[in-house]
Amino acid sequence: MNLTETATLAADNITLAHRKFTVAKNLSVTLPPGKVTAIVGPNGCGKSTLLNGLARIHAPDTGTVLLDGKDIHVLPSKEVARKLALLPQDNTAPEGLTVADLVRFGRQPHQGWMKQWSRKDQQAFDHAVTAADVIELQDRALDTLSGGQRQRAWIAMAVAQETPLLLLDEPTSALDLGHQIEVFELIRQLAAQGKTVAMVVHDLASACRYADHMVAMKAGKVIMEGPPGEIVSPELVHTLYGVHCDLLEDPATGSPLLVNMRRERSDHARCQ
Amino acid sequence: MLLALTDKRTGLANGFLLLALVAASLSSMSLGTISVAPLDVLGSLLGKADPMTDFVVKELRGSRILAGLLSGAALAVAGCLMQTLARNRLATPGIIGIDNAATAFAVASVVGIGLSLAPSAMALAGAAAATSLAFGLAGANGTRGYRFIVAGIGIGAIAGAATQVMLSRVAIDAANAAYPWTVGSLNARSGHSVVILSIGLVLAAILLAIINRGLNTLQFSDAVAIALGTRLRAIRILGLGLSVLLTGLAVSVCGPVGLVALLAPELARTLCRPGKVPLLASGLAGATFMVLADLLGRTLFSPLEIPVGIITAIVGSPYLLWILLKPSNRSLT
Amino acid sequence: MVPNRAVASRASFPSRLLTTWLVAGFLLSLVVMASLLYGAGPVSPGDAFAALLGNGPDNAHFVVSELRGPRTMIGLVTGLALGLAGALLQSMTRNPLAEPGLLGVSAGSGFAVALAILFGASNATLTTFVAQLGALAGCALVIAATRVQGLGNDPVRLILAGATLSGLLLALTSMLMLMDQRAADEIRFWITGSIAGKPLTLLSSTLPAIAVGLLIIAMVARPLAAMALGEKAAVGLGHHPGRIRFLITLSVALLVGSATALAGPLIFVGLVVPFIARAFAGPDIRKTLWLCLPIGPAVVLGADVLSRLIAAPSELPLGVVTALIGAPVLLAIVRAGRMPSL
Repeated sequence: MNLTETATLAADNITLAHRKFTVAKNLSVTLPPGKVTAIVGPNGCGKSTLLNGLARIHAPDTGTVLLDGKDIHVLPSKEVARKLALLPQDNTAPEGLTVADLVRFGRQPHQGWMKQWSRKDQQAFDHAVTAADVIELQDRALDTLSGGQRQRAWIAMAVAQETPLLLLDEPTSALDLGHQIEVFELIRQLAAQGKTVAMVVHDLASACRYADHMVAMKAGKVIMEGPPGEIVSPELVHTLYGVHCDLLEDPATGSPLLVNMRRERSDHARCQ
Repeated sequence: MLLALTDKRTGLANGFLLLALVAASLSSMSLGTISVAPLDVLGSLLGKADPMTDFVVKELRGSRILAGLLSGAALAVAGCLMQTLARNRLATPGIIGIDNAATAFAVASVVGIGLSLAPSAMALAGAAAATSLAFGLAGANGTRGYRFIVAGIGIGAIAGAATQVMLSRVAIDAANAAYPWTVGSLNARSGHSVVILSIGLVLAAILLAIINRGLNTLQFSDAVAIALGTRLRAIRILGLGLSVLLTGLAVSVCGPVGLVALLAPELARTLCRPGKVPLLASGLAGATFMVLADLLGRTLFSPLEIPVGIITAIVGSPYLLWILLKPSNRSLT
Repeated sequence: MVPNRAVASRASFPSRLLTTWLVAGFLLSLVVMASLLYGAGPVSPGDAFAALLGNGPDNAHFVVSELRGPRTMIGLVTGLALGLAGALLQSMTRNPLAEPGLLGVSAGSGFAVALAILFGASNATLTTFVAQLGALAGCALVIAATRVQGLGNDPVRLILAGATLSGLLLALTSMLMLMDQRAADEIRFWITGSIAGKPLTLLSSTLPAIAVGLLIIAMVARPLAAMALGEKAAVGLGHHPGRIRFLITLSVALLVGSATALAGPLIFVGLVVPFIARAFAGPDIRKTLWLCLPIGPAVVLGADVLSRLIAAPSELPLGVVTALIGAPVLLAIVRAGRMPSL
């Protein structure tokens, strides 16, 4: 299914704070439409806060988040939810909730209190469970699933929202390698269908491999932005994480590969 | 098709609870110091019985059962709401001190201290005061987390002490009039309070039907609820307001029968399908609990009458203890 | 979290602690004076003072020596017992909210007394013994509850369980009272938190138990301080946690049972007293216990004096005043950022 609808999301000079502690100051970020954007950076750099800011979970102290050019906090919440879906990091669900129940929740933004489950809702539901490959899991309770299956179920819920924008906060944290790849490939598929995706990614290597666009953050500031192949360099890695490394090109995909990571500039040099 | 399937279990549960409620109410009408045969009860309800039976069934028992039914339903729905808002099975109005505060204010009204407002209004004011105090003390965490609960325990203790102060300061007759409130009893109800309670329940039912879908999303984290388009703040304020309203009005009828607010939603959740907030089932279960507890209190040691609050405490506390002491419990806070 | 110095520090009496102790002792003597001089009745403080010196009107003499004197003594002992019991229980469960009243120990004691009275017991010694048995049962339940996986380090769940247990026992007690009108009056006399009108013979019947409780504290104070470092560390230092736990439980039961026999269930005293003591003594349980000695009686007697004055010419129940003082302290503990741990 190709989405005909598109939407743009941008942060315009926003400052985000937890209580009095400013996490990110004067950030401006625009998500390139139809692309997968990865937000990367060291722990505590404000990447999740930025994502939550973009998703209107975290209201900015100054500046505005613009959805299709309008202030996201002024738009009705339901209208926003029809354009923007979020997969948060903390996704606990009530005990015994089944996958189908969860995915059905994704249709809420399209329902009114007089408007019950419609044919269109059912179509979206079917599409979502197919896309996220959870058809066989539909009647299983979430708490009986493996981490990867559960994450796919949550993504299915976000897909059922049928939004042009999808934001994900560390979608693969706590997943093993196989499940990580499963989830990232699903995200690529969704982007191929025309969704604009933004995700916080912990692992720089995965970000290089699966993102079209990268936003590198440190200490609450965006220090570099662009396609991974263009912006990732040993210098950037050192600025972000304080480690040294060498770069190779992945022979299969052409994306940058980090190798020989170490704390010192060169073990060899130090020995001499 | 899918939806019908979803709601089958919940529908069954509600049907079962409704049946239980009807059965409990009918037995409560027939049993007591004067027994009335079940057929005569039905006859009286259909308007075909002698005046004596009519009097016992309708005047003596019927109005009492109606009061119990309404207050039980109100307490249970209030409990279910607050549990949902706080995402904590233990956060019921009774545990966080709202019942006690409402009682203290209602007692103040009965013994003639303070404003000369009706008990309903005073109980409501007490419930609201306790809730805002609990929120103020819990700080930015709102209903989340332990502070809210411990603050409530403290507020409940203060309100309980205040009630005792008032009772010890007034003439014995006034104190006796107010006593039932302090333990929870259906003996002290005034017809007026029952009418106000039923109006409150109808209002709450309408509003809850409107925000029902949003409430369901509160079972997830805030972020998920917002992402699904729920207006979190509005729903929270409205839900909390309704919970306070229902608790206050119920307390003005039956006193602090707090554990109903914990037990009924618990039963409703067990019976209904997970994923929805079982408000209707909670209300039905709460009404049934209250009617049954009152029936037990009236008949167990007849002619001695045990207040319904004592019965629910004796029956409900062991269950609450079991929840609290169960080794692993992921749904607690 | 307990700093190492808690155990490393010498058990001797540091001068700062001595100063605090003396100040607290001085305050206590003031409260004792107030307790003898002020009352809800018509005897003026001046007459009472004269009576203390051996002159003054007869009625003042009677009130001071026969009413306020015993009442003050009972208040002193009750406060001592409850303060120490609270400090012990909190230290052992490592939970700053573990208070015998909140956890249902006092209610257990009260329920046992109500049962005994219903079955015809009426002499003071028997009542004291029954109250102690009830407290022991309550304590055993609390300890068992803290041993449940995960509950030990969840202060809120523990006190909620305690509040529930208290509620259950109170409901059962009210039911007993409904059963028998004659017994109800007597039960009410025992289970209303108050130190007024209690006979001095009651004091003599509880003193042996309190003495044993104090002796146990003297024996286990050091190993208990070591247990603050964790059970494994305590074993490493050559102590036996199981034995210590048993002794402490026994001591708390004796103290709370005696206090309940004397004054009825008083909640929050065991919370407020150690809270104040810890604020001055720091994390070492031994110093805290020392400070509880003067602070406990001062708090109970102070509350009692307030209970006579707030609503004069009538009196409030003491339990109401301790609740009104204690609940804000509970709120303050909770308000103080994250839950403090012991």
